Amino acid sequence: MSAITDADLLGRFPDTWINHDNKEFYRGWLRQRLLLNHCGDCGYWQHPPRPVCRACWSDNVHATEVSGHGTVHLLIRLHQGPPAPGVDYSEPLPVATVELAEQEGLRYTSTVINCPPGQLRIGLPVRLTWTERYGAPYPVFEPLAEGAGAGA
Amino acid sequence: MRNPIKDKVAIVGVGSTGFRRNIEGRSRDSLAVEASIKAIRDAGLRREDIDGISASSPGPGYMASALGLPSVTHYTAGHVPFTTAVIDAMNAVFAGSAECVLLYHSVYRAPAISASAARDPFRRGLGFGGSIPQVPSRIDPESVAGAVGYAAWASRYLHEYNASREGFARVAVSDRSNAADNPLAAVRDPMTMDDYYAARMVREPLSLFDMDVPVDGADAFVITTAERARDLPHKPVLIHAATTGLVGPNEEDQIPGLEQHGQHVVVEALRAKSDIWIPDVDLYFPYDGFTIITASWIENTGWCGPGEASDFLKQNWDEQRNRILINGKIPLNPHGGALSEGGTQGSGHIREAVVQLRGDAGPRQVAGAKTALLTLGGFFFNAQGLVLRSE
Repeated sequence: MSAITDADLLGRFPDTWINHDNKEFYRGWLRQRLLLNHCGDCGYWQHPPRPVCRACWSDNVHATEVSGHGTVHLLIRLHQGPPAPGVDYSEPLPVATVELAEQEGLRYTSTVINCPPGQLRIGLPVRLTWTERYGAPYPVFEPLAEGAGAGA
Repeated sequence: MRNPIKDKVAIVGVGSTGFRRNIEGRSRDSLAVEASIKAIRDAGLRREDIDGISASSPGPGYMASALGLPSVTHYTAGHVPFTTAVIDAMNAVFAGSAECVLLYHSVYRAPAISASAARDPFRRGLGFGGSIPQVPSRIDPESVAGAVGYAAWASRYLHEYNASREGFARVAVSDRSNAADNPLAAVRDPMTMDDYYAARMVREPLSLFDMDVPVDGADAFVITTAERARDLPHKPVLIHAATTGLVGPNEEDQIPGLEQHGQHVVVEALRAKSDIWIPDVDLYFPYDGFTIITASWIENTGWCGPGEASDFLKQNWDEQRNRILINGKIPLNPHGGALSEGGTQGSGHIREAVVQLRGDAGPRQVAGAKTALLTLGGFFFNAQGLVLRSE
């Protein structure tokens, strides 16, 4: 895959505030990879992107791919909200904060697709998948396994 | 914890426009100016006396110009909730940066949070609180940033403590019952528990009545030394202890959890600084921008344990007045709070505490009130606390 230049990146996200700290995170989106900041010295993960590691203050932090596996930690259903393509709120939009498998407290917030509303709950195991918005990939989650929403 | 400023600085003036769902035909800044003039007059001072400004919005330059203040030696513009301005003014007075500081906060419905504001062409593009338009930026709904974060942690609260929404309902109903006696309040119609449960969901599990009311209006205050306060017209209200609280991380989806965020820092610091603590306070003001914030403050301040707010509020419910009355004597947010007076980011709570401690709250007056505990703001980057007392 050819490199995505800074100009390409900024062009693909015209209304997003991209800086030197989060540019690799968004470059990851374009390659359908969720890259979160990982400390090369102490191994601590954090999100959103920051210039140094919160744990050890090293600047040896790099946007690093996560497995995308995790568990729903916070869960709301928006009955109204900001306009976005493909979102009309005719059904409440689930917004889930997922605690990722890599580290306790490392979380990423998006929606959960391919899940019957009755099965979506706090504690549900999910995995990362991708949809599209404004012509660019967009990270979302789906239940880890077929029928994983039931029971447990 | 050191607290050398204890009782050395006083709130000596208050002014308010009152709060309404729609104040027609006025700018945000006109509201702040009106409240400021009222506060300075209430303090018995003149423009020449005001040598400090702790602003939220509009900025200090605007206000000095609008009021024609001849000589300002200290000016800052802080963040909401409003305790940041109180603390800045308090420190400025104590340190000698200024003698008499004007502080004010205006609220102005933004198009994004109010349908009527969205129809007002003079509010086009305005941001939160009526701030000037920013460059258009992408907002994805799949986020818990900003106010949505409270709905997200409300979901966790209900999950972790196996709680129902009953505690949230009592917070909302109690505020409304209290607002009935407050002419400054935007919403004063009585509300029942059934009304609460019938409200439409907005950010499930939070409904319309779990969220504060977007309003227009402003509050203002004047702060000076306790010594000078004794020569001014009103009974001085002393700042006994004040703090703000942050933890890292504090992003809405990254805080460690319900039992470790800014509120816990505030409670620990305030308790260490203050000689006055629960249950021996006459007035308690837990912030109520969202009902979940109030339930959390009540628990984190130690009125009851984690997850116990609902039971606590039920046990301390005044059936006659349909409101919370702790130990049969301490009301919560007697002005109606953010949920019914209007979303003032704390300025309304502070104003009511001052008025109560002066003994000037009319039909809302808590008899003999001499001490007030205020726990303001939320979880993430805005938790704050104040202990105020009269002499």
